[in-house]
Amino acid sequence: MLSKNKLKEMREKRGLSQEKLAELVGVTRQTVISIEGGKYVPSLELALKFSKLFKCKVEDIFDI
Amino acid sequence: MKNNAMKYGFAAVTIIAGLIFSYFHIGERPDIVFGSLGAWLIYVGFITLAIMAVRAIGKNKEKKVDERMEFVAAKAGRVTFVFIIIAAFAVMIADGIKPIAISYYMFMAYMISAIVFVYFVAYKVLLRYN
Repeated sequence: MLSKNKLKEMREKRGLSQEKLAELVGVTRQTVISIEGGKYVPSLELALKFSKLFKCKVEDIFDI
Repeated sequence: MKNNAMKYGFAAVTIIAGLIFSYFHIGERPDIVFGSLGAWLIYVGFITLAIMAVRAIGKNKEKKVDERMEFVAAKAGRVTFVFIIIAAFAVMIADGIKPIAISYYMFMAYMISAIVFVYFVAYKVLLRYN
Protein backbone atom coordinates (compact mmCIF):
# COMPACT_ATOMS: atom_id res chain seq x y z
CA MET A 1 0.00 0.00 0.00
CA LEU A 2 1.23 3.46 -0.90
CA SER A 3 1.76 5.47 2.21
CA LYS A 4 3.20 8.72 0.99
CA ASN A 5 3.07 10.87 -2.08
CA LYS A 6 4.28 14.21 -3.29
CA LEU A 7 1.13 15.10 -5.16
CA LYS A 8 0.34 18.16 -3.06
CA GLU A 9 3.92 19.40 -3.30
CA MET A 10 4.03 18.97 -7.08
CA ARG A 11 0.61 20.51 -7.55
CA GLU A 12 1.52 23.56 -5.51
CA LYS A 13 4.85 23.90 -7.32
CA ARG A 14 2.92 24.25 -10.57
CA GLY A 15 0.39 26.62 -9.07
CA LEU A 16 -2.55 24.31 -9.65
CA SER A 17 -5.61 24.23 -7.46
CA GLN A 18 -7.07 20.89 -6.38
CA GLU A 19 -10.06 21.58 -8.59
CA LYS A 20 -7.93 22.32 -11.64
CA LEU A 21 -5.81 19.23 -11.11
CA ALA A 22 -8.94 17.12 -10.72
CA GLU A 23 -10.30 18.53 -13.95
CA LEU A 24 -7.04 17.84 -15.80
CA VAL A 25 -6.95 14.17 -14.83
CA GLY A 26 -10.72 13.65 -14.99
CA VAL A 27 -11.61 13.01 -11.36
CA THR A 28 -13.46 14.90 -8.64
CA ARG A 29 -11.80 17.33 -6.24
CA GLN A 30 -12.65 14.99 -3.35
CA THR A 31 -10.55 12.29 -5.00
CA VAL A 32 -7.55 14.62 -5.24
CA ILE A 33 -8.03 15.54 -1.56
CA SER A 34 -8.17 11.85 -0.60
CA ILE A 35 -5.04 11.00 -2.59
CA GLU A 36 -3.11 13.94 -1.16
CA GLY A 37 -4.19 12.93 2.32
CA GLY A 38 -3.08 9.35 1.71
CA LYS A 39 -6.59 8.02 2.29
CA TYR A 40 -7.07 6.73 -1.22
CA VAL A 41 -4.59 4.86 -3.39
CA PRO A 42 -5.07 5.80 -7.05
CA SER A 43 -5.27 3.24 -9.82
CA LEU A 44 -2.34 2.72 -12.16
CA GLU A 45 -4.20 4.64 -14.85
CA LEU A 46 -4.70 7.66 -12.63
CA ALA A 47 -1.12 7.52 -11.34
CA LEU A 48 0.11 7.51 -14.94
CA LYS A 49 -2.10 10.48 -15.72
CA PHE A 50 -0.48 12.40 -12.86
CA SER A 51 3.01 11.45 -14.03
CA LYS A 52 2.19 12.50 -17.59
CA LEU A 53 0.77 15.78 -16.39
CA PHE A 54 3.75 16.58 -14.17
CA LYS A 55 6.20 15.19 -16.75
CA CYS A 56 7.91 12.90 -14.29
CA LYS A 57 8.04 9.24 -13.31
CA VAL A 58 5.24 7.67 -11.27
CA GLU A 59 7.71 6.85 -8.50
CA ASP A 60 8.67 10.53 -8.29
CA ILE A 61 5.12 11.23 -7.10
CA PHE A 62 4.16 8.04 -5.29
CA ASP A 63 6.28 6.02 -2.94
CA ILE A 64 5.90 3.06 -0.59
CA MET B 1 -32.95 7.15 -28.22
CA LYS B 2 -33.70 3.59 -29.31
CA ASN B 3 -33.20 2.43 -25.73
CA ASN B 4 -35.66 5.05 -24.49
CA ALA B 5 -38.21 3.99 -27.10
CA MET B 6 -37.85 0.40 -25.89
CA LYS B 7 -38.46 1.48 -22.29
CA TYR B 8 -41.47 3.62 -23.15
CA GLY B 9 -42.74 0.76 -25.28
CA PHE B 10 -42.30 -1.65 -22.39
CA ALA B 11 -44.19 0.68 -20.04
CA ALA B 12 -47.00 1.19 -22.56
CA VAL B 13 -47.34 -2.54 -23.31
CA THR B 14 -47.32 -3.35 -19.59
CA ILE B 15 -50.02 -0.80 -18.80
CA ILE B 16 -52.18 -1.88 -21.76
CA ALA B 17 -51.75 -5.57 -20.85
CA GLY B 18 -52.65 -4.70 -17.25
CA LEU B 19 -55.80 -2.90 -18.38
CA ILE B 20 -56.82 -5.83 -20.61
CA PHE B 21 -56.18 -8.36 -17.84
CA SER B 22 -58.13 -6.26 -15.38
CA TYR B 23 -61.01 -5.77 -17.82
CA PHE B 24 -61.35 -9.51 -18.45
CA HIS B 25 -60.68 -10.41 -14.78
CA ILE B 26 -57.70 -12.57 -15.70
CA GLY B 27 -55.30 -13.63 -12.96
CA GLU B 28 -57.31 -12.32 -10.04
CA ARG B 29 -56.24 -13.63 -6.68
CA PRO B 30 -57.35 -12.04 -3.43
CA ASP B 31 -54.40 -13.41 -1.45
CA ILE B 32 -51.67 -11.52 -3.29
CA VAL B 33 -50.71 -7.94 -2.69
CA PHE B 34 -52.17 -6.34 -5.83
CA GLY B 35 -55.24 -8.52 -5.98
CA SER B 36 -54.81 -9.19 -9.67
CA LEU B 37 -52.18 -9.62 -12.32
CA GLY B 38 -53.64 -6.65 -14.21
CA ALA B 39 -53.17 -4.29 -11.26
CA TRP B 40 -49.61 -5.49 -10.84
CA LEU B 41 -48.79 -4.92 -14.51
CA ILE B 42 -50.24 -1.40 -14.37
CA TYR B 43 -48.12 -0.74 -11.27
CA VAL B 44 -44.95 -1.97 -13.02
CA GLY B 45 -45.75 0.18 -16.07
CA PHE B 46 -46.18 3.32 -14.02
CA ILE B 47 -43.06 2.60 -11.97
CA THR B 48 -41.10 2.26 -15.24
CA LEU B 49 -42.44 5.62 -16.40
CA ALA B 50 -41.62 7.23 -13.04
CA ILE B 51 -38.03 5.92 -13.13
CA MET B 52 -37.59 7.19 -16.68
CA ALA B 53 -38.93 10.62 -15.72
CA VAL B 54 -36.54 10.87 -12.77
CA ARG B 55 -33.60 9.76 -14.93
CA ALA B 56 -34.52 12.28 -17.64
CA ILE B 57 -34.44 15.08 -15.04
CA GLY B 58 -31.09 13.86 -13.71
CA LYS B 59 -29.56 13.76 -17.19
CA ASN B 60 -29.52 17.54 -17.45
CA LYS B 61 -26.91 17.72 -14.71
CA GLU B 62 -23.35 16.88 -15.65
CA LYS B 63 -22.35 14.17 -13.21
CA LYS B 64 -18.83 12.95 -12.90
CA VAL B 65 -18.18 9.40 -11.76
CA ASP B 66 -14.55 8.67 -11.06
CA GLU B 67 -12.64 5.60 -9.91
CA ARG B 68 -12.85 6.52 -6.23
CA MET B 69 -16.64 6.67 -6.44
CA GLU B 70 -16.65 3.21 -8.03
CA PHE B 71 -14.31 1.99 -5.30
CA VAL B 72 -16.57 3.44 -2.61
CA ALA B 73 -19.66 1.97 -4.31
CA ALA B 74 -18.05 -1.49 -4.24
CA LYS B 75 -17.20 -1.02 -0.57
CA ALA B 76 -20.76 0.13 0.19
CA GLY B 77 -21.96 -3.02 -1.58
CA ARG B 78 -19.83 -5.15 0.73
CA VAL B 79 -21.13 -3.27 3.78
CA THR B 80 -24.69 -3.86 2.57
CA PHE B 81 -23.96 -7.56 2.10
CA VAL B 82 -22.70 -7.84 5.67
CA PHE B 83 -25.81 -5.99 6.82
CA ILE B 84 -28.02 -8.53 5.00
CA ILE B 85 -26.24 -11.43 6.73
CA ILE B 86 -26.53 -9.80 10.17
CA ALA B 87 -30.16 -8.80 9.54
CA ALA B 88 -30.99 -12.37 8.44
CA PHE B 89 -29.64 -13.71 11.74
CA ALA B 90 -31.49 -11.03 13.68
CA VAL B 91 -34.73 -11.87 11.88
CA MET B 92 -34.24 -15.59 12.57
CA ILE B 93 -33.68 -14.93 16.27
CA ALA B 94 -36.60 -12.48 16.47
CA ASP B 95 -38.82 -15.00 14.67
CA GLY B 96 -37.76 -17.68 17.13
CA ILE B 97 -38.63 -15.50 20.11
CA LYS B 98 -41.92 -14.29 18.67
CA PRO B 99 -43.15 -15.46 15.25
CA ILE B 100 -43.19 -12.65 12.72
CA ALA B 101 -46.79 -12.32 11.64
CA ILE B 102 -46.62 -9.94 8.70
CA SER B 103 -47.43 -10.64 5.08
CA TYR B 104 -44.64 -11.88 2.87
CA TYR B 105 -44.91 -8.90 0.52
CA MET B 106 -44.74 -6.50 3.44
CA PHE B 107 -41.67 -8.26 4.75
CA MET B 108 -40.04 -8.07 1.32
CA ALA B 109 -40.98 -4.39 1.00
CA TYR B 110 -39.37 -3.61 4.38
CA MET B 111 -36.32 -5.66 3.52
CA ILE B 112 -35.73 -4.06 0.13
CA SER B 113 -36.27 -0.59 1.59
CA ALA B 114 -33.78 -1.36 4.37
CA ILE B 115 -31.20 -2.66 1.89
CA VAL B 116 -31.54 0.43 -0.32
CA PHE B 117 -31.33 2.69 2.76
CA VAL B 118 -28.25 0.93 4.17
CA TYR B 119 -26.51 1.03 0.79
CA PHE B 120 -27.27 4.73 0.36
CA VAL B 121 -26.08 5.65 3.88
CA ALA B 122 -22.97 3.45 3.59
CA TYR B 123 -22.10 5.02 0.23
CA LYS B 124 -22.53 8.58 1.48
CA VAL B 125 -20.57 7.96 4.69
CA LEU B 126 -17.73 6.16 2.91
CA LEU B 127 -17.58 8.82 0.22
CA ARG B 128 -17.27 11.48 2.88
CA TYR B 129 -14.70 9.77 5.11
CA ASN B 130 -12.76 7.52 2.75
